[in-house]
Amino acid sequence: MRAANHDLRQPLASLKILIYSCMREEASETRAEMLHAMSVAALIMEDLLGALLQIGQLDAGRIQPRVTSFQLSQIFERLAIQFRHQAEEKGLKLRFVTPRGTVATDRALLERILSNFVANAIRFTEVGTVLVGCRKEGRMLRIEVVDTGRGVKDEDLERVFEEFYRAAEERRGQKSGLGLGLNIVKRLAELLEHPVRLRSRPGFGSIFSVTVPRGNVWHSEGGEVEISETVAGEFVGTPVLLVEDDDILRRSMTQLLQRWGITVHAAADEAEALRLADEGVSVKLIVADFNLKSRTGVEVVRGLREVFGAATPAMIVTADAEPRVLDDIRGAGLPVLIKPVSPPRLRVLMHNLLFEPGLVAGPR
Amino acid sequence: MPAEFPPVPIGSMIPLTGPSAADGAEFRKGMILAVEELNARGGLLGRRFEPIFADTCRQTAEEVVAAARWLIEKHKVHAIVNGYNIGPQNSEYEPIADAGIIYVHANTLLQHHDTIMSDPERYFGIFMADPADYWYGPGFIKFISWLRDTGQWTPSSDRLAIVSGSKPYSIVIANAMAASAADYGWRVCFGPRIVQTPTTQWREVLEEARAANPAVLANTHFYAGDLAHFQRQFVEKPLDCIVYLQYGATHRSFSDIAQEAATGVIVSSVVGLLRDEMGKRFEARYNARFGEGSTATIGCQSYSNMHHYAVAAAMAGGSGAPGDFEQNRKVAYALKGMIYRSVQGTIRYHPDWQAVVPYPVVTHDPSLGMPHIFYQIHDHRKPLSMIAPEPYNTDRFILPPWMSGKSAAKPAPSNPRGLTNL
Repeated sequence: MRAANHDLRQPLASLKILIYSCMREEASETRAEMLHAMSVAALIMEDLLGALLQIGQLDAGRIQPRVTSFQLSQIFERLAIQFRHQAEEKGLKLRFVTPRGTVATDRALLERILSNFVANAIRFTEVGTVLVGCRKEGRMLRIEVVDTGRGVKDEDLERVFEEFYRAAEERRGQKSGLGLGLNIVKRLAELLEHPVRLRSRPGFGSIFSVTVPRGNVWHSEGGEVEISETVAGEFVGTPVLLVEDDDILRRSMTQLLQRWGITVHAAADEAEALRLADEGVSVKLIVADFNLKSRTGVEVVRGLREVFGAATPAMIVTADAEPRVLDDIRGAGLPVLIKPVSPPRLRVLMHNLLFEPGLVAGPR
Repeated sequence: MPAEFPPVPIGSMIPLTGPSAADGAEFRKGMILAVEELNARGGLLGRRFEPIFADTCRQTAEEVVAAARWLIEKHKVHAIVNGYNIGPQNSEYEPIADAGIIYVHANTLLQHHDTIMSDPERYFGIFMADPADYWYGPGFIKFISWLRDTGQWTPSSDRLAIVSGSKPYSIVIANAMAASAADYGWRVCFGPRIVQTPTTQWREVLEEARAANPAVLANTHFYAGDLAHFQRQFVEKPLDCIVYLQYGATHRSFSDIAQEAATGVIVSSVVGLLRDEMGKRFEARYNARFGEGSTATIGCQSYSNMHHYAVAAAMAGGSGAPGDFEQNRKVAYALKGMIYRSVQGTIRYHPDWQAVVPYPVVTHDPSLGMPHIFYQIHDHRKPLSMIAPEPYNTDRFILPPWMSGKSAAKPAPSNPRGLTNL
């Protein structure tokens, strides 16, 4: 508690001074610098409180691991996003050698361990590279975070994992580490029963590693359980132009098509559709209502094909079931569906127009 | 069985003619065997089942909808139970939902999910007794990752080429493969390239795929004959890659046409006869009834669908004619709650999807899902070798003969059935 008290009071004291000075500072540039320093002090306090909370939870036995099988690459991708800017700001190369393989552990807790390793590596490396990769060790996988930082002296190798431990030069104020990150790593690793290791050469760099069991790829949890046509439906990503002047129908049709993974460009009339073309929209299929306000859907399709391409597949939907009207539409070479449109019929026709045009019935 | 009880009419929409007639013949046999066995045990609470078959020909929306209407209006069927019809895209759901009867099929379509979830009340009685086509995608990606990660095969690269047929089923599977690939360390280097099918001409697309130099080549088209030509044309100038062909390559006719070229091909099915004691006993009964040339692995679909429908109807206290929504809701309720171990694995419906849950992609418990089975053709004259997943596999993966030795599998894992890491 004494150490925590000290670490919390330090940024708090800085913050108070900065607030006091900032209130009197007139130069906008200096004030901006002070505000930045205040935000850094607040971030340090936030980090410290977060770390203390984690330690409290670990001490109280409130963290229960939930072991699943998953692809380690998923964590690497998240870490890359999380730390890319921090590394860039220091001019460091941050490299992830993305593994192909499944691990069996608690995904969130492993991510906390690795994120502490990477944060530490970036903090204590001034030039060079931070590399994250893995090595197979029998049925285990050793995940390593390698840096070209200042390294750790032999006598400190064990102590770096202690609570509030900081190296002598750090205590003199050269760095702003909290001395809690590696202690949290140690506690989490003990909870998960994953060996943690540190190898280091002062002046050359360190390798922090955690060894995890390899998992069963069949049981690996990915995004695939979310079965959806927006992921892998036959129409996924297909751009379709919908011309419908009835607002409610246009909205409901758009929703239906979007559920099937279609990129819908909806227009109330021909002019709006032409504006879409002007904006650079290209489409693979046109679906037009027949009874549009100024022109028929057949005429609109004819006009739009001049812009979107003469061979663009198109279909008409109509509430007018008059045989003469239907014959006229089919006579113009356009397939037609009668409203209310049956979703399965719409699917079949759209599929045929897009993928099997030979199956679309010709004009009678 | 007392003569005073009228039989329970059960419709079955089957492609008895057209390009899927070979499957249709087996679906018909599966229904006949199920009904004969059920009737021998007393039928449905003393009433005999009577199957009525409607030919769905080329399985277009018009043909399948007409078949459903004919069965409902002319024969007043209490349920429609069959294998698959690939063309209607759920169009047949409408007359069936209007009539309020039960429909159990093996259409293997992603679209089923969208239709059911769009109006669960209306489609209360419609069940897909196998997993959706979509699951072939992540299942296949996990399979090749498993071969790679367990050292059974060392891929030459992370490159994956995908060729698709032009039917929705093929396109969905190809898209699902592409969508899952990156999560498991694979890169799509070609496709999904949609080829107009049916076709026997694959040389052009094969040439393009060869230029991408993949470590895995997958074709999601599913007509046995077309796939056999694909494989013959592939081995004319083979690549150092695994070849995966969709469902149709499970057919005897595939190996008959492809001959030696078939050896080494990987094929899978999310609904297929298991090689365990139950599966073998079923196959023996099936062959005894219909002759050795029959394909029990296809007929098992309609057989199991009919069987578990009968169990649900019995649990519900009987079946319901068209318009008897109340009784059919009771049957649907029984189907939803049932965990039925069929000869092709477990039929357990997801409560929202009303479709079977696949193992191991969704459930990791083999007793709660239908296995996505991976086969390899080891000898074109013999039955397919079932190489995954545990606990149903009976054989192990071998390196296809067209592949170079440098990618050879490592020594056999300790598991005598050829699997590790499970």
